[in-house]
Amino acid sequence: MVEPGTTVLQAAALVGVEIPRFCYHERLAVAGNCRMCLVEVEKSPKPVAACAMPVMKGWRVKTNSPLTRKAREGVMEFLLVNHPLDCPICDQGGECDLQDQSMAFGSDRSRFTDIDFEGKRAVEDKDIGPLIKTIMTRCIHCTRCIRFASEVAGIDDLGTTGRGTDMQIGTYVEKFFMSELSGNVIDLCPVGALTSKPYSFTARPWEIRKIDSIDVLDALGSNIVVSTRTNEVMRILPRVNEEINEEWISDKSRFSYDGLKRQRLVTPMLRNSACELKPVDWEAALLTVAKVIKNAGSSIGAIAGGFADAEALVALKDLLNKLGSEALCTEYTFPMDGSGTDLRSNYLLNNGIAKVEEADLVLLIGTNPRFEAPILNARIRKGYIHNESEIALIGPKVDLRYEYDHIGTDPQILQDIASGKHPFAQQLQKAKKPIIIVGSETLERPDGGAILAAAQTLASKTAAAPGWKVINVLQKVASQVAALDIGYAPGASKIREMKNLKVLFLLGADEKVFEKTEIPKDCFIIYQGHHGDYGACIADAVLPGAAYTEKQATYVNTEGRAQQTLVAVSPPGQAREDWKIIRALSEFIGAKLPYDTLDEVRDRLEDVAPHLTRYGYSEDANYFKQALELSKKSGVKMDKTSLSLNQLELEDFFMTDTISRASPTMAKCIQAVKKQKESKY
Amino acid sequence: MKQHGGIRAGLYKLYRMDDLKPGVQVGEDKYGNKYFENNRYFYGRNRWVEYAPKYGVDYDGSQVPAEWFGWLHYKSDLPPMKDPSRPKHKWIADHQENPSGTKDQYMPYSTTRPKIEPWIPPKSN
Repeated sequence: MVEPGTTVLQAAALVGVEIPRFCYHERLAVAGNCRMCLVEVEKSPKPVAACAMPVMKGWRVKTNSPLTRKAREGVMEFLLVNHPLDCPICDQGGECDLQDQSMAFGSDRSRFTDIDFEGKRAVEDKDIGPLIKTIMTRCIHCTRCIRFASEVAGIDDLGTTGRGTDMQIGTYVEKFFMSELSGNVIDLCPVGALTSKPYSFTARPWEIRKIDSIDVLDALGSNIVVSTRTNEVMRILPRVNEEINEEWISDKSRFSYDGLKRQRLVTPMLRNSACELKPVDWEAALLTVAKVIKNAGSSIGAIAGGFADAEALVALKDLLNKLGSEALCTEYTFPMDGSGTDLRSNYLLNNGIAKVEEADLVLLIGTNPRFEAPILNARIRKGYIHNESEIALIGPKVDLRYEYDHIGTDPQILQDIASGKHPFAQQLQKAKKPIIIVGSETLERPDGGAILAAAQTLASKTAAAPGWKVINVLQKVASQVAALDIGYAPGASKIREMKNLKVLFLLGADEKVFEKTEIPKDCFIIYQGHHGDYGACIADAVLPGAAYTEKQATYVNTEGRAQQTLVAVSPPGQAREDWKIIRALSEFIGAKLPYDTLDEVRDRLEDVAPHLTRYGYSEDANYFKQALELSKKSGVKMDKTSLSLNQLELEDFFMTDTISRASPTMAKCIQAVKKQKESKY
Repeated sequence: MKQHGGIRAGLYKLYRMDDLKPGVQVGEDKYGNKYFENNRYFYGRNRWVEYAPKYGVDYDGSQVPAEWFGWLHYKSDLPPMKDPSRPKHKWIADHQENPSGTKDQYMPYSTTRPKIEPWIPPKSN
């Protein structure tokens, strides 16, 4: 017995019978236009479309009867009449639904003789941007891309024109399909009509090695599959994880992998007497760095960047603590007023990513989830469409691809709502499952503590059920939660206050926390990371580390879920895994860290915080009341300046970190968006 | 033995070439290699070269110049100095032995772009 409303196709899947389909997709609306899923139902005069027909009691469905098979073969024949036979040069070849299903369910011979008279239908290709290549002749009109664009991405650009043989999928006018989730239509397309432009003609699915990994380009930790061949990342595809990314990933996660091949640090470097960085070998680099650190003693500080993994973070912290320094900071700051980072509930997306779609009221404070966390925005949009959730935003007015109530840009509004003066207060009161999402960028303001306190006050006044966590903070970078869990101080203020800073250790910190002039002249800067960017430019010593596809490393996403990346390719040149570099350095300094293997580092991680090694499991945070009370005591005054954000428009989305800044594909995306803006459509 | 220059020289030659064959010297090329013939040996063994002493035991077939190669391999029965049809041009290049294993050897190199483009530190600082 299945739940009422289950379709024939879903019911068959439950008992292990797979019915072929092209247009049906679990996460999209049912279209029922490909007719591939026709099955025979006893006492029904015609075969029925399994994807659209709910099962009734007492039905006998025949999924392999002569009638069903005849229907499938007929549909397949019609599809192949107008599908080109270019599988050998098609990028979808080997992972094509049409290929597979014509083998499994199609007829064993062709009756198609019209090729000699009329030929096959041909359709002009469309230019829909630098990411998606279209070969429209291959299109079988399943309309998955259209449904994805309008339902998930919220961009109603794709549609059909014409009927019958003349039907075409397109954008009506010449226009780019510019969405932060556009790459997902490549996965959705069952044939090779939409393929990846950067990946085109580079590899075949059967010669590729697939390694499960985690995306680190935003703080959500989307699950990905890294496809590699000849020690090179060929492409990145999403992996299903219902609790995080379903089966979507953002374009930055999917296409910025070519940034991993450019601007890489491949050998250790030291600044010579002529003030130039020159490549040296590891021994020379480590000897020099160790000597400097030894001389500096405890006047050493470290800043961890957005891609730092938990293993490297804990190793660096152990090393600096051994040397007697506590100045370990993250690049992105966080208000330390009240309970600060002592209580995890202050800096986590407490309610979890998946539950966002259940909320009936979403209040976004100073955040643009569409670009800071595109997958989370897709969830909010899902709630907006299927759950009719209300969405309100305090902060700069941005295009989120769904309707929302723009309350204002002034943070003072939060206090008005809390005191009940603002009309939104009643709406918040009435909501059964409200969610408040505060952007971490807003909390970086000097009055961030006051904003967080105001949001916590609001959350405490809602009528949410006990298990429902109203207050959520959306982080922007992958390393932040792990760093705060391990005990890094948010923001570089600790280092700024240090009078006699002799050594500054940048662990992938590239976001110009410090201008070169702010750092004392005699301070020796060590940069450890994988890309040559701002950090490497100002460094006196460069130690090449591994990027996220090149190391087995732990990342904790914004909801506090620990996940690990796996080694897909080896680090380029002399680059090494980050914790190993720090471990080697500790031996040169003479403050040897007590771990030699990854397992031993993870034992240490477990000692620091046990949830860091419970992979896939999201560790909840609590103590909301205590956090609120502590933050009330802090007494930070709120500014009158209105909230602002870095990522407002689509072109701000593509290049936000060292990897995407080095990526030519991302640069092309920005150009395309700018070009699109100038066009009249 | 006499032909090979006494006992010492004969033993040295035996050590160098693992063979002591009596024969008539047909000629000598400009590198000092001597060419011998003895038709009492059967065809295929009746012509041979004794490499110049300067090569020691480091001799190999590529040290035979092109003009003597023909005679040694029975392409012609006339040694080069007796062959009237042999062209003599100014521009004929000097013979070169195989440079494998020396610093002049050919080293193949990749013409494809490297998979990873390294970061080059900016000059001005």
